[in-house]
Amino acid sequence: MSYMDKLLLGLVLICSLHSFGQEYEFGKISKEELLEQSYPLDSAANAAVLYKSKKIRYKYDKEQGFVLITEVHKRIKLYNKNGFDYATEEMFLFDSNGVKEKMLGLTGKTYSISGDDIVETKLKKEGVFKVADSDYINKVSFTMPAIKEGSIIEFKYKILSPFSRSIDRLLLQYDIPIKKIKISLAIPEYYNFRKRTSGFLPINIKESSDRQSDLFLGNSIDYNVTKYQIDSENVPAFKKEPYSGNYKNYISTLSFELQSTQFPYSSITNYGTTWGAIARGAFKDSRFGGAMKNNKYFKDDIDQLVSEISNPLEKTKLIYEYVKDKITWNNRNALIPRKSMKKVYQEGIGNAAEINLMLIAMLKYAKINVKPILVTTNDKPLSMFPTIQGLDYVLARVRINDDILFLDATDKYGEPNVLPNRVVHGLGRLIAESGNSEMIFFRPSKISKKQNILMCEMGSDGNVRGRQRIKHTFYEAHDFRIKNTLKKEEEQRKRIGDLYSLQNISEYKISNLKDIGKPVVESFAFETSDEVEVIDDELFFSPLLFLRNRENIFKSNERLYPVDLGYGVSKSYSVNIKIPEGYEIIEKPDDMGLKLSDDIGSFMFRMKVVGNTIQISVKETLNVPLVMEQYYTELKTFYDLLIQKESDQIVLKKI
Amino acid sequence: MQKIILPILVVITMFNFVKVSAQEEIDLNSAVIDSVLVKNANAVVRSEEVTIEINSVNSITTKVKKVITVLNKYGDRHADSFEVFDKSRRVKKISAIFYDHTGKEIKKYKKGDFVDRSMINSGELFDDTRILYINYTAVGYPYTMVFESEIENSTTAFIRPWRPVSSNYLSTQRSVYAISNPKKLPLKIKESNFDNYLINNQKEEGIITYSIVNISAKESEVLSPLGDDVFPLVNVALTNFVLEGVHGSALDWKSLGKWMYEELLKDRDQLPQETIDEVNKLVKGAKSKREKAKLIYEYVQEKTRYISVQLGIGGWMPFLASDVDRLGYGDCKALTNYTKALLESQEIPSYYTVVFAKKRKDIDPDFTSIQGNHVILNIPEEGEDIWLECTNQTVPFDFIGDFTDDRNVLIVKPEGGEIKRTKRYEPEENILRTKATVELNDNASMTATVERISEGLEYDWRYRNQFETPKDQKAHYKENWGYINNIEINSIKFNDNKDVVKFTEQIVVSCANYTKKVGNRLLVTPNVFSCDQINLPQYTNRNTPLLISSGYVNTDEYDINLPEGYVVNNLPKKKVLETEFGKYTHELEKIDDSKIKFRRYLKIIDGMYPKEKYEEYRKFRSEIKKIDKSRIVLKKL
Repeated sequence: MSYMDKLLLGLVLICSLHSFGQEYEFGKISKEELLEQSYPLDSAANAAVLYKSKKIRYKYDKEQGFVLITEVHKRIKLYNKNGFDYATEEMFLFDSNGVKEKMLGLTGKTYSISGDDIVETKLKKEGVFKVADSDYINKVSFTMPAIKEGSIIEFKYKILSPFSRSIDRLLLQYDIPIKKIKISLAIPEYYNFRKRTSGFLPINIKESSDRQSDLFLGNSIDYNVTKYQIDSENVPAFKKEPYSGNYKNYISTLSFELQSTQFPYSSITNYGTTWGAIARGAFKDSRFGGAMKNNKYFKDDIDQLVSEISNPLEKTKLIYEYVKDKITWNNRNALIPRKSMKKVYQEGIGNAAEINLMLIAMLKYAKINVKPILVTTNDKPLSMFPTIQGLDYVLARVRINDDILFLDATDKYGEPNVLPNRVVHGLGRLIAESGNSEMIFFRPSKISKKQNILMCEMGSDGNVRGRQRIKHTFYEAHDFRIKNTLKKEEEQRKRIGDLYSLQNISEYKISNLKDIGKPVVESFAFETSDEVEVIDDELFFSPLLFLRNRENIFKSNERLYPVDLGYGVSKSYSVNIKIPEGYEIIEKPDDMGLKLSDDIGSFMFRMKVVGNTIQISVKETLNVPLVMEQYYTELKTFYDLLIQKESDQIVLKKI
Repeated sequence: MQKIILPILVVITMFNFVKVSAQEEIDLNSAVIDSVLVKNANAVVRSEEVTIEINSVNSITTKVKKVITVLNKYGDRHADSFEVFDKSRRVKKISAIFYDHTGKEIKKYKKGDFVDRSMINSGELFDDTRILYINYTAVGYPYTMVFESEIENSTTAFIRPWRPVSSNYLSTQRSVYAISNPKKLPLKIKESNFDNYLINNQKEEGIITYSIVNISAKESEVLSPLGDDVFPLVNVALTNFVLEGVHGSALDWKSLGKWMYEELLKDRDQLPQETIDEVNKLVKGAKSKREKAKLIYEYVQEKTRYISVQLGIGGWMPFLASDVDRLGYGDCKALTNYTKALLESQEIPSYYTVVFAKKRKDIDPDFTSIQGNHVILNIPEEGEDIWLECTNQTVPFDFIGDFTDDRNVLIVKPEGGEIKRTKRYEPEENILRTKATVELNDNASMTATVERISEGLEYDWRYRNQFETPKDQKAHYKENWGYINNIEINSIKFNDNKDVVKFTEQIVVSCANYTKKVGNRLLVTPNVFSCDQINLPQYTNRNTPLLISSGYVNTDEYDINLPEGYVVNNLPKKKVLETEFGKYTHELEKIDDSKIKFRRYLKIIDGMYPKEKYEEYRKFRSEIKKIDKSRIVLKKL
């Protein structure tokens, strides 16, 4: 193909794109669209976005400076009644002391087929609702009139925002399919944004440049704009899967993050461009950096606390426990302190930044080698690129010789290197004053353990009596403490009863529950008549009795994104069953071993008989916290086989 | 004589108490709480005083002073420090002070420190009620909160009731409720569930008080009735009231109903002529009233949808039928009023009906006042009335399900109100019939074709499956039969016969390892599809009666084809369990060498049973569960 051919082809493509765009002119609805019974590419869809366009541009306003204009045009097909929820649109507009976002020019229409005709109904004022949600947020919602199964709704509106430095994250995928989505942005040269995407679908962004002019102080000025355009078709619906950590990381989106601004006749203002700049900026920031330096308010207390101690590890733990005990987290993630550190210390309440920066300040004061980690928690989408907006949490990292300790004093049940869920599924950036930084993953490489020991005696009537002991270690202990620390004994027994379908539980004991750092150990006695089946003169039962796995947690046959369990875990069962006198074992399961590829996990089943006692030993291990989707089928099969093995039968017969 | 003296003393101390500050009366130190009150409690109401001052027909002042000690994190929610307000409710005073366990003040919130926010929920379009609240982070436990508020309300149709036992895991040291009515406006007071509680009740000149002390915390219990049906409750209402500026009278149901009709409904049912013409055409061929009503109901279902909007006379007035006609949406009131208008156009009388939806609760017939949280439509019929749920687009005609079944409701007629009871679904009407043909293979696999037919409430509990996506439908059945490891759902077919309210599911399933090979034997659970999964907890000391809110009958009949080369020797005997809660049978029959038949029958009878019966019911269900999963042995020839 010659150069000319390529150029021509390009032109044709552009033209055809244009004519394609014409089809979605507001108000032009075809009968075919209205008659369509289901979405051709996903017959299960209750509704589909036929067309969505979002145009974002800037305009100069005499009073407000640059304002951000977002124009939305959306057309949705409602295939059936379950899709009717999509006939209501909700949006939140910011209002900061009168500087506010405004919605303008809302027009909407519902189209339905009646006989041979297309019936149109306009959205009127009565269908639009405004409520002041709080001092800063106004909620605007509207619902479309006269919808029926098969209707198409269409609306467009404009949002004017004086908050020109922030562009909302753009969703490129919904929980219903999208036939066509068109997003365009035109950003003046004065703003320097960085793009960031998420999701597993390919995103194709076209970039071009143009000129734009505005009236500025009575003069017309000309400036460059960079244009971005995304045109996607047939975007599948996004489905949430269980055990996926933060689903926001897997839905397709595009974000724009401001790096800097430079207006005519002014100097450049940076908003954090590199990790180095973010790191240096954080240390220089009076609130963030200041909080790490200020030691006046706690000096005397810490002096007293660690005066007798020279071992740095001991000192660290003491200070960590001190902060954990003294300050309560107010359930707010934060990167920057809001209150004065002195006030936080006095009141004993703080956000994540306040608490952990205080911890850092105290450790520093005690001459411990400590650095802050900036964190993106599970509540926010992850970014591999430097970004301030993506960060919402602070953590402390201590280094003592070769030992690394991650510390989060917001979590009352936490311990060094055992972090709350919100952090484990997130991502961190360790920063130094010099500007050096390093990416930090929090999912532990060490696996957690849940060890079960069961000793019991079986009667010839099938009754089983015995004792069980469960030891929870590391993250298993942490999870256990979060869920069960406050439970009263009665509730603990109820929990065990529900877990194992047991009805008679007694002598329930628990130890180390408040001794954080040590494994939690539970023990109880039980009696059950449900586990052994007596058929004629034979007894049938599965070797793990009520401890066996009964249900595979992975039900779906396919998976599009990773299984994120947060930490690897090994569950072991050691079961001793004393068989009734006068009985012999006539059938027993064979030993078995399973291994998942790349050492992701393993399963081991062993059984032996010593005198009149059966000894069973089972170990199920998942070595990794995150299993990529390509291993999913194998993982599901692994659990199927394991459950099958654990349901194998031992048969005893009367001699 | 003593009986008289004692109450007077109580009243006098009560009066003193209202005047003195809480700090002097209650020891804010948490350590002084009686251990009986701490047991099972997440929080202790140290003292709660609610005073209702009826100033006039359009002004009621509610004063609250509450001292609560919170013992742990779960108790935080009982330290509720908020007030709700709107056009007619004004928050005159509100404050909260927090004290640590020694009684030392840690934080004080004045009115200006409270956050003002809309009460609107996600998915709700409009609601102009607002809330004043605080975000308090507990720094340690126990702590004590002293909360005070004063609300003036010009709507006098609703008066805060007294619920001294309002929640599980919450104990009450002292609770006082006083109604002052200096102008002696006519007042109704209803006391409920006072038995088993020691309650002081004083009726003095213009003031009525109730008080209770030392109620220990209760644990939550499954299958228990609503709190209002078992714990002490005082409801108060004015005979002549005001609802957002509109005067009303609740002398009896007849007059209250008439008022509702006149003020909230009358003349809101006009329809455009085109719609009437359309409906005329629609019902032209229909012969009976029932047939016409059905066509109209389906027309409404086709044309409208439910949205949540709280507007018009405190949220009690439906918007115009003509608006619903044009917009195609409305809330329960609007959609019911619209359906009523359409029926009226065909001269079918129907009545706007106020009800408590979801968990079964009666409009209390002995307490004439504005009650309820939902609206349905009643069409009187000879024999059995027709009831219509107008907010649901998929439910069959004249089928209200357990959302509003079997409860007292208020029928609003132009000539006045009337209490009626909605349809009750008898156990025999709520049927789930499961039939299956099961093929067992000698490689331990199983395939089966299952047909389930649901009627009555069983229909209600199951028919929504059809609206799920195929993926979710599969997930639903995999979950439902989760006890069969590795079950595959090969095909799903539904038939929803709305005319007779019958939902049929036809499902083909398979499982690679359903049976268990043990040497030359095969272990099989014949009850493939109806293994009971209920696990009822055991209580050492149950406090509340056992409530089985709906009865039902489930039957199963399977033909099980044995794998080639296997025979069955002795089948277990038929098992029958019979109790006052219902009946259960489990039966196996050998048809020939290669085929057996399995039959199961379970009937559960709804009702309220005394608390002592709970343990019996638990045993009944646990015995069923055990028999359900029992297995038989097939031997290789």
